Amino acid sequence: MFPLIEIDNVSKAFTIRHNRTNSLKSSFIGIFHKRFRETKETLWALKNVTLSVAPGETLGLIGRNGSGKSTLLRLIVGIYRPTQGQVRFPNGARVGAMIELGVGFHPELTGRENVFLGASIHGLSRGEVEEIYPGVVEFSELDSFMDVPIKNYSSGMHARLGFALAINLNPQVLLVDEIFAVGDEAFQRKCIEKMEEFRGEGKTIIFVSHAAETIKNFCERACLLDHGSLVFLGAPSKAIEEYHRLLAS
Amino acid sequence: MLRVDTPNFPYFLLVGILPWNFFAQSLMMSTSSIVDNGGLIRKVWLPIEVFPIATVFFNLAQYLLAMAVLFPMASFFFRVPLSRSALAFFVVLPLHVIFTLGLGFFFAAATVFYRDVKHFTEIFLMLLFWLTPIIYDVRVLPGSLRATVYANPLSFFITSYQDIFYRQIVPDPFHLLVLFSLSGLSLAVGYIVFSSCKVRFAEEV
Repeated sequence: MFPLIEIDNVSKAFTIRHNRTNSLKSSFIGIFHKRFRETKETLWALKNVTLSVAPGETLGLIGRNGSGKSTLLRLIVGIYRPTQGQVRFPNGARVGAMIELGVGFHPELTGRENVFLGASIHGLSRGEVEEIYPGVVEFSELDSFMDVPIKNYSSGMHARLGFALAINLNPQVLLVDEIFAVGDEAFQRKCIEKMEEFRGEGKTIIFVSHAAETIKNFCERACLLDHGSLVFLGAPSKAIEEYHRLLAS
Repeated sequence: MLRVDTPNFPYFLLVGILPWNFFAQSLMMSTSSIVDNGGLIRKVWLPIEVFPIATVFFNLAQYLLAMAVLFPMASFFFRVPLSRSALAFFVVLPLHVIFTLGLGFFFAAATVFYRDVKHFTEIFLMLLFWLTPIIYDVRVLPGSLRATVYANPLSFFITSYQDIFYRQIVPDPFHLLVLFSLSGLSLAVGYIVFSSCKVRFAEEV
């Protein structure tokens, strides 16, 4: 069976610009004054990462802050282009958006309007949004608040609407970046259940988290990143162990 | 100074200033369209071209609405009925939109790397306004000044609108050819610049 996502020796460099000149004015002054000139330094956010994800697999990504987890997700989605290497989809899979809460929500619009806005930003047509809309309302439990502008929502309500929308976008591949820190315990449990349901349906999930327990219970494989390099790939419990060793050292 | 002997001057002014507003507003808004939506661009994959395109079409809608108000008013107050030359509007308008879009692409991309392009655009537009025959008729200018005005590509568009609605003649073929080349050039350059650096937008905004 072909892998769903093939990450082939991918590296990603970012340029750190010291004394950053992001205006024409300062670039112009930089011609005459050395003090205003920018110097560049290259930071490798990912170094030679090779990884393939099978269809239906649940993969966990762990690592310290700044180890390149989110960069890897963004490369998979296509927001970033790899500096070296390639990200391939041998089956032509449609990778949905990275699930982040409330992306594209506008505070002045009502809950209902924001569902339509957010979903269409992720590429759904009006008809498709109308289809998923009842599911979003039901999951978020915000039935009576859908006509309220979301600037008046509590932060928990905001997150619930965001998650409910994200989960109903129904992508083939679910990329989840650290979102279980939201909502109360009951809602968190509900989110996990929904993710289990996705897994049952044979959907591929790539999952970034710092929560060791969730990774252990939920993922079939885990991948540990450190300073942009792939340090370990294999059983989640082993990966967590390695991760803790890294943290301790 | 210049003698103003343009009959029906208010009408002349409106015919020129409405397309100018469309152009200037589109350009100013496109300039910041990528940077203002940085949060979205960093998080969701979407065709980034939509931002300048949406901006231009938003302003186009406003322009068309203003035109829809102008013509009934004009025939009532100034007794200027629309003539058949108005059909040329459907040739000039798309070219004007394409021309604006091309510049919009270019400035939107430039602002990502140089944030003060926005302020330069404002100043540049102010200068351009006076170099465009909007509040004066290009025909009252002496030859040398006329050449200066026509060094500004936008003058060709504005005078075409004035031909169509004010002088009620169809712009001559040479003029239309210039519009066609200008809009093609603008879109080609703007789009090539935009798409060659769009992969870096998510990192730079």
